[in-house]
Amino acid sequence: MKFEAQTGGETIPVEIAGADGRFTLTIAGERLAVDARETGEGIWSILLDGASYVADVTEQDGSYLVDIGGERYTIRVEEESRYIIRTRGAQGGERGQVLKAPMPGKVTLVAVTVGQAVAPGDGLVVLEAMKMENEFKAQVAGTVKEIRVAVGQPVNPGDVLVVIE
Amino acid sequence: MSAPFGKVLIANRGEIAVRVIRACRELGSRTVAVFSDADRESLHVLLADEAVPIGAPPATESYLVIDKLIAAARATGAEAVHPGYGFLAENAKFAQACLDAGLTFIGPPPAAIRAMGDKMAARRVAIKMGVPVVPGTEQPLSDDAEAARVAERVGYPVMLKAALGGGGKGMRLVRAPGDLAGALRAARAEAGAAFGDAAVYIERYVEEPRHIEIQVLADAHGGVVYLGERECSIQRRHQKLVEESPSPFVTPEMRRRMGEAACRVAAAVGYVNAGTVEFLVDRERNFYFLEMNTRLQVEHPVTELVTGRDLVKDQLRIAAGEKLGFGQDDVTLHGWAIECRVNAEDPFASFIPSPGTVVGLRAPGGPWVRDDTGVYAGCTISRFYDTLMAKLIVWGPDREAAIARMARALGEYKVAGVQTTIPILQRIVAHPDFAAGRLSTGFMERLLATDRPEGAGRHRPIALIAAALTAYERAGRPAPAAPSPATTPGAWRQALRPGWRSR
Repeated sequence: MKFEAQTGGETIPVEIAGADGRFTLTIAGERLAVDARETGEGIWSILLDGASYVADVTEQDGSYLVDIGGERYTIRVEEESRYIIRTRGAQGGERGQVLKAPMPGKVTLVAVTVGQAVAPGDGLVVLEAMKMENEFKAQVAGTVKEIRVAVGQPVNPGDVLVVIE
Repeated sequence: MSAPFGKVLIANRGEIAVRVIRACRELGSRTVAVFSDADRESLHVLLADEAVPIGAPPATESYLVIDKLIAAARATGAEAVHPGYGFLAENAKFAQACLDAGLTFIGPPPAAIRAMGDKMAARRVAIKMGVPVVPGTEQPLSDDAEAARVAERVGYPVMLKAALGGGGKGMRLVRAPGDLAGALRAARAEAGAAFGDAAVYIERYVEEPRHIEIQVLADAHGGVVYLGERECSIQRRHQKLVEESPSPFVTPEMRRRMGEAACRVAAAVGYVNAGTVEFLVDRERNFYFLEMNTRLQVEHPVTELVTGRDLVKDQLRIAAGEKLGFGQDDVTLHGWAIECRVNAEDPFASFIPSPGTVVGLRAPGGPWVRDDTGVYAGCTISRFYDTLMAKLIVWGPDREAAIARMARALGEYKVAGVQTTIPILQRIVAHPDFAAGRLSTGFMERLLATDRPEGAGRHRPIALIAAALTAYERAGRPAPAAPSPATTPGAWRQALRPGWRSR
């Protein structure tokens, strides 16, 4: 089965075969024999060339967050066919920022108005979650095109809060 | 030893409720848990002898409603109430309501909570007892204009603090006049939400300070002792992440002076039970009274491991009217203890909270490793409460051994389903400044400023394998197809090869 893995701005082709803990992975053309077991939901034990590793994998926003040895990797893995369709259909020159809620919470402050010019680092929205106020900032320079939330409103992960062009 | 109480209600949740239940069980006291609708399956409910529902998930409708807690204690026949930390632990009205209902409050008398709960009144007590304090206001700020005047007077940078605060809620550092208004708004909002009172005051900010606190125990018969110090300088957003006892900065002579100052403050307000006197310590080893926390601290286990005392059992015995049964000369510090807070936060995304289901969990073990937890594999971490999941505490004969043990234990700690602070804790304990004991409350800011971009480490190939296999397994593992024949070893692996085996 063929996949495309995207991480750190790179796209790496990965082909996988096998089952029941014994897998053959062909990563960027190189073939590896991997003994891998999911020893708990999202907790992978991987034996490779005699070395033992444990990696924690959590799904978030269509990507996998992998924690291993104090390091973190965000890796998007798609089936090859899906990757091709998505990337061919993508329009070039994506700019702006669509600010989505990364966690459930309640909006306690909207610091901008529609039409307002913002610079990177400008505060946009404050979300209260787990007793903490979390400020979300503009990552790009642009104009506030849409504000989809109001103060006091509860939000869920993935909800669009603010759109900047 | 007979049980100090037949039945104890724990007016809290999470790891601290579990901690108290464990002490009660060992003493032979029966336990009553309370739980909101979000906590039916939480660990404290599973471990208690009895459990009483107290309402909707928001704390203001459950864990903060005094009447519901008193009613639960009455209905179950509990004789005493342990408040834990947070929620109503430092609420004098709650302590009084317990007494009025004929219940023993496992904590200080209401008057002592009131005296120390008003942070400005507490400063006045310290001044009267000859304990130094940081310059600032003696009264809450009436408005923004007054705040600006006071800030000018004591000099920037200044620290805004909730008058009824604690645990970093409602605190803001302000470096320049232009940031004052926004910081006041945020501090008041947080203070109001956390403590039901938006009053805020100002103190001069001590640059690169250490946060060192003294544990005190006082009985109802005039006995007061200090159990050494805890260094809690590793903080982020004024929330402690790593604590240790003793402090690498404190000399025996300084410990004695800080300890005696703490006991004077406690005695001055008629303090009974466990309490903590917090100090800021500057680079010249001058210490300034910050506040007294009139409750058990989150980080109490490090004191337990170096003194050999069970502070929760001591709390129960003291509340039952027993004498301490030991004096200051009986307190000796043995070895070194470190605690790391495992929070459901994403350290790679500005520490945003990460509520969700803990799908996978493997806690560390082995000699001198303690996991004070409120979670288990399969449980849900609710968005309604704070992010603390568990506290990992280790002991070693000296600091170096304790650090090595903590690094080892953190490496064993595996959590899947929610993001945790474990990766950043690993980086903290591996940092040369931490090993050298060069700690200050600015440590985290410096560490995060030199942050490596994610995804640049040596474990990248393994991470890629884990992610790809997850996608493959989730895709339903179709009939195996023959993989394409291997080509010459690619640049991909060559480049990463040095990292394969070294761990």
